[in-house]
Amino acid sequence: MDMETVTLSPEARAVAGRIHNIRDYLDLLAEHGQCITWPDTVMPEPDIRKVVVAAGRDAMTGPAIVFDKIRGYPGKRLVVGVHGSFSNIALLLGKPKGTSIKELFYELAGRWGSDTPLINRVEPEHAPVHENRVEAGINLYDLLPLYRINALDGGFYIAKANIVSRDPRDPDNFAKQNVGIYRIQVQGPDRFTLLSVPSHDMAQQILMAEQDDVPLKVAVMLGNHPAMAMFAATPVNYDESEFAYASQMMGSPIELTRSGNGMDVLAGAEMVIEAELLNNQRCLEGPFGEFPGSYSGIRHVPLFRVTAVSHRTDPIFESIYIGKGWTEHDTLIGLNTSAPIYAQLKENFPEVVAVNALYQHGLTGIISVKNRFAGFAKSVAMRALGTPHGLMYLKNLIMVDDDVDPFDLNQVMWALSTRTRASDIIVIPNMPLVLIDPAAEIPGKGHRLVIDATSFMPPDPIGGDAKLVAPPTGSEIDDLAKYILRLQKEAENR
Amino acid sequence: MNCPRCQSAEEHLRTECEGREGGELVWTVFYCRRCSFTWRDSEPAESIDYGLREDWFRADPDHPEKYEQNIPPAKTDGAD
Repeated sequence: MDMETVTLSPEARAVAGRIHNIRDYLDLLAEHGQCITWPDTVMPEPDIRKVVVAAGRDAMTGPAIVFDKIRGYPGKRLVVGVHGSFSNIALLLGKPKGTSIKELFYELAGRWGSDTPLINRVEPEHAPVHENRVEAGINLYDLLPLYRINALDGGFYIAKANIVSRDPRDPDNFAKQNVGIYRIQVQGPDRFTLLSVPSHDMAQQILMAEQDDVPLKVAVMLGNHPAMAMFAATPVNYDESEFAYASQMMGSPIELTRSGNGMDVLAGAEMVIEAELLNNQRCLEGPFGEFPGSYSGIRHVPLFRVTAVSHRTDPIFESIYIGKGWTEHDTLIGLNTSAPIYAQLKENFPEVVAVNALYQHGLTGIISVKNRFAGFAKSVAMRALGTPHGLMYLKNLIMVDDDVDPFDLNQVMWALSTRTRASDIIVIPNMPLVLIDPAAEIPGKGHRLVIDATSFMPPDPIGGDAKLVAPPTGSEIDDLAKYILRLQKEAENR
Repeated sequence: MNCPRCQSAEEHLRTECEGREGGELVWTVFYCRRCSFTWRDSEPAESIDYGLREDWFRADPDHPEKYEQNIPPAKTDGAD
């Protein structure tokens, strides 16, 4: 990827300059009425779930909610919905509350494409995350106000952590250090399972460690810089650093320190849980209410042992509600899912105007394109299916003209109503598909749907009126061809 | 008390944590060592009453082969 300098507006620069950790961001949100502290005492279940679902109904302006009166967890703090609305994302990007989704998309897409890390190193003894250190008698239940997110989850999940790990075969390579969001189920005071899709970086590292019989250490960062939480979920190449992306997208340095087990971690994280893979050990995990709005089943999942915990004084446990949409999950990753597809399409098709892959991690996508000639939008759709994210996720694609805002569903419905013919629908059967699609007949395999809702265009006229050359034909030419063959045979026999 | 998900007997259950307010016990978290279910005794019945669970949300630790491997272990001597 080319290195470019991202130009930020003065407002964006001011926000980037003041936000160093989640506490700074919560202060900013509170100033705009986008973070509230729940006034009443709540039971861990079902009260937290109910409040958070109600707050999440408003995808444009729903606030983050801090709980500091959780029954049985005196003194503990929980925050949910930090990235739960587009207004919260807008404030992070230096935009006013209520900024349109399309404008936020362009703001993010404009910051895309630079991967030079802006990193400030903080010595561990000066890092806020190391203010408190637990190395013996670790009990995650005492450290965090854990609760059941959906009523039929198999246990208590840490669902919004950023997990740092290093390539077990190349542990000193900063760029091969992986940061990702993986769901974690607490399996005991110092045990957890971590679920990763087999094709993802973390799963590859687990496989390597077990094959080579070497340790795999991880650092689970909780309550993170809001940009980190967004960009850890962005698919970057294996040798690109998510820390670099996060810092570039914010346009300000990320402060990193070293965890006790040698990982680079955010110096201002609320908590870092250090752990190691228990090679070849598996534990039952799930179900968990996942982003398509359905529960995933029970599986045997790799097990980790917690070796130490560092945390700020009075740490804030950051969590997320995931389930039937709309939820914070959609706002957290929606724009970051859309922006790389847009950037990749633009390389081949500058006619692409915008990409909306907000829905269920892009299971449905809407692409706006300047239609050059009949069928052009369909070709763009095929390219979208071949992008890294499109390969597994873009199940339904709706193609609209450049006069339709793909983020405005009223406009998209107008295009579907007035510009779609049933013959402009393509179904591609038996394609690869993310395992988690509840509509799949066979998990991992499914059909793709492209609806071309662009307006009628005539076929490309170029070539239609070509003045053709008329080479000589007829029996004279046929005889000449036979004569040439005879001459060739004679030459051969000579 | 049995596990609300697989009905394993008390000897397979572990007490994880006790929530207290001013010395008063307000809830207890338990873990089933056979099916890995975790629950708090103060939760609504839909989460912790075996009788209210659809089959799909129950667990059968006697037949671990029913459940898929997320990432099969490279070496099997350390598995489950």
